[in-house]
Amino acid sequence: MSGSIAARFHDGLVAQVHAVALMHEAGTLVIRAGDGAELGRWATADLFAVHGRKDELRLGANGQPTGARVVVKGREDVARVLATLPVLGQKRRQQTGREIRIAVTATVALAAVIVAYLYGVPLLAGRITGLVPPEWERNLGETVARQMEASLGDDSGFEVCDSNPDSLANRAIARFGAAALEGSGSPFELDIRVVKSEIPNAFALPGGQVFFFSALLEQAETQDEFAGVLAHEVGHVAYRHGMEQLISTAGTGALIGFILGDMTGISVAAGLGATIIDARFSRDAERQADAFAAHVAERMDFNPAGLADLINRVGADDEFARALALLSTHPLTDDRKAALDPLSQQRPTGLEPPFTTAEWNAIRSMCGMPDPKTKSK
Amino acid sequence: MERPVAVVFTGTRRELGFMLLRGYVLLIPSIGLYRFWLTTWKRRFYWANTEIDGDPLEYTGNAIQLLLGFLMALAVFVPLYGLFFYLSTQSSEAAIIGYSAVAVLVWFLMGYAIYRARDFRLSRTLWRGIRCDQGGNAWNYAVRRFFWSLLVLATAGLAYPFMAANLWSYRYRHSWYGDRQFGFVGSWKLLARPFYGTYLAMAVIGAVGLGIGSAMGGLPVSGVPTVGGAVVMVIAAALMGLLVLYYQSREISRMFSAVRLGQAALTVTVRARSLVGQYVLFGLALAGSYVVLAAGGLIVLGSVASGAFAGGGFDPQVFRQSLQGSFSVLLAIVFGYLLLLGAFSLMVELFLGLGFWKLVAQGASIAGLDSLRDVKARGEDTRLGGEGLADALNVGAY
Repeated sequence: MSGSIAARFHDGLVAQVHAVALMHEAGTLVIRAGDGAELGRWATADLFAVHGRKDELRLGANGQPTGARVVVKGREDVARVLATLPVLGQKRRQQTGREIRIAVTATVALAAVIVAYLYGVPLLAGRITGLVPPEWERNLGETVARQMEASLGDDSGFEVCDSNPDSLANRAIARFGAAALEGSGSPFELDIRVVKSEIPNAFALPGGQVFFFSALLEQAETQDEFAGVLAHEVGHVAYRHGMEQLISTAGTGALIGFILGDMTGISVAAGLGATIIDARFSRDAERQADAFAAHVAERMDFNPAGLADLINRVGADDEFARALALLSTHPLTDDRKAALDPLSQQRPTGLEPPFTTAEWNAIRSMCGMPDPKTKSK
Repeated sequence: MERPVAVVFTGTRRELGFMLLRGYVLLIPSIGLYRFWLTTWKRRFYWANTEIDGDPLEYTGNAIQLLLGFLMALAVFVPLYGLFFYLSTQSSEAAIIGYSAVAVLVWFLMGYAIYRARDFRLSRTLWRGIRCDQGGNAWNYAVRRFFWSLLVLATAGLAYPFMAANLWSYRYRHSWYGDRQFGFVGSWKLLARPFYGTYLAMAVIGAVGLGIGSAMGGLPVSGVPTVGGAVVMVIAAALMGLLVLYYQSREISRMFSAVRLGQAALTVTVRARSLVGQYVLFGLALAGSYVVLAAGGLIVLGSVASGAFAGGGFDPQVFRQSLQGSFSVLLAIVFGYLLLLGAFSLMVELFLGLGFWKLVAQGASIAGLDSLRDVKARGEDTRLGGEGLADALNVGAY
C-alpha cells in the first residue's frame, strides 16, 4: 500500500467515528487520525474482514475489542487494501472452507438419518408396536371405528348386514378368521363385521376389528376372492399394521419437520414429503399382508390370487394410477397378482375349502342380495 | 439542537433477489440445512445496508449459531411431538382437550421464542463498534404476553392498545445500546384513537357487508351464492383489509416514534398508502411470476408429451400415456411444487420483507444523535447459542 488510504475507524470502546488514514508498515496496519496522532497498530496477521455491503471493506483484528473496526469505502480503495493484505483473502477462504465443511457434514448426517429412517422404520415401528399394550391398541381401534362411522356412515353408524352372531354366515366367517389367525401369536381376538356400504372396500383397524363392506362382497364371484381379501385383512391384524403405520406416520412427520425446519408441521411441503414416505411403508405392509393370505391358503383350499382378481374388478389400474404409483398406498394390482400367482401354485393339494357351499351361499346373501347365482352387475 | 438525521437504506431488490435465488438452489443439495446460512446472509444484507449517520449496522451472528439453536429447540419439540402422537391415539374428547392444551402451551412458548429471538438479533447488532443488547426475562415476557392476549380475547379485542403499549414498553425498556438503556415514552393513549376508530369502522363495514351481502343471497344455506351478494361481501372484506393496513401503519409510526435512547429520539413515519402499495406490488409480482411459471410448465409438458398436443388440440388419453414412468412424474410434481413455493417465498421476501424494512428505515430519523458519542461498550453477551425455539416455531421475520 503505497501512500495512505482514507478510512473510518471505531475503537470498539466508545461510539465515536474517527476519520483516519491507513498505512501499511512492516507487517502492521497503522491507524492515524487526521492530526497525525496514532490511534492503533494492528498486526497484519491478526486482521480479518467481516461481511459488509458492496464496495465496503470492514476490518477487525484479533486481540482488539470485538467491536473495533476499520472501514474502507470505494471499489478502488478496497481493491488496494486487499492487494496489500493477502492475509484477508486467505482468512476469508479459510472461514468459508470451515463453514462448507460444517454444512457438508451436517448434510451428510441428515442424509444418513433419512436413509436409516427409510430402511429402519419398518423394523423399528414393528419393535415399538410390540411394546404397545394390546389393551391400548384395542381402545384405539374402537376410537378409530367410531370416527370412521361418523364420517362414512349416517348418524346411526354402520349397519351390520346380519346382526345375529350365531347365523350360518357369521359363524363361518368367524371360524375362517380364527383359523387364519391361528399360529400367528396375535394377542387380539378378531371381530369381523360385514356392513352395508356402497363403497367397495375392506379394512382392518388396530386391535382386531375387520370391516368388510357389502359392495365388495357383491362383486366377489368366488369363495377364493372373498377368502383371499379376508385373509389379507387378517394379515394386517396379525402384523399389527394399523399401529405400526400410526407410529411410522408420526416418525415421518417429525423427520420432515426437521428437514424443513418447521416442527409445527403445518406446511404443505411437509404433507407431500410425508405422503411419499408413508405410502412406501404402506405398500410394504400390503405386500406383507398378501403374503400372509398366501400362507393361510397353504392350510385351506382357496386361491389367494383371487384377492387380486377382486381388487382388479373393483378398480383396475389405469394409466393415471401407474403414473402416480409412488404416491399410492397400495402396490399396483398387476404387481400383486404377479407376486401371488407363483405362491398359489405351490399350494399343497387335498385341503378343505374355507366354506361349504351352504355357508358361501349364506354369506353371499347376508346383505340381502336376491340370489347368489345371478350376478348383480 | 441539531437537525434530526435521516436513516438511509442502500440495498437494492436486485441484490437481495440474486442472493435468495442462489440460496434456494443450495437448499436442495443440502436437504434444507442451507436455510441457516440463507437467513444469515439475508440479515447481513438488511443490517449492512441500513445506514445511520454514515455508519451502517453490522450483523455479527453466523449460521452455526442458528443451527445449534435449532438443535436445542428440537429438544423441546420432540417430547411435545410425542405428546401430540399419544393424544392422537386417544378418544376424541380426550384428544380435543389434549390438543387444546398443547396449542395453549405453544402459544405461551411463542412469547418466549419471540423475546429470545429479539435478544439474539440485538446482541449481534453492532453500530459504530458498539453492540446492542437485550436484558429482561424471556419467561416474564412470555407470561405478560400470554395473559394480555387472554384479556384481549375476553374483551373481544378492546384491550389490544393496552397490551401493545405494555409489550412495546417492556421490549424497549430492556434494550441497550452499549451502556445506554433504551426508553419508551408511549402509552395506550397513542393507539387509542386509531385503534378504536378502526375497530368501529370494521364492525360497521363488516355488519353492513354481511347484512347486504346475505340479503342479496351471498350466503345461502344451500346452493350457489349469487354474484351480487358475493361481490358485496368481497368488497367489504377488501375494505376491512385496507383498514387493518391503515391501523398497522399508525401503530408502527406512533410506537417507533416513542422509542428513546438517552437524549436521542427516534421518529418513524410510515404512511398507510405506502403499506397498501407494498401489498399491491406484491400481488402483481406474484401473479406475474406464476404466469411465467405456468408458461414454462406448458412448454416443458409440451416437449415431454408432445404427442398429446398434436394437431392443436389436447388429447388427455395420449397425455396420460406419456406419463407412464412413475419416477419422472413424481420428479416433475416435486420440482413444479418447489418452483411454486420458491416463487412465492421469493416474492414475499422481495416485496413484503424488503418493502417493509425499507418503509420503516426510510421513514425513520433520529434527533440528538450527538448525545450518543460517549456511549461505552459493555461486557460480552455470547451466551445465547441461537434463537432457540424461534427457529422451530417459525416466528418473526428477518
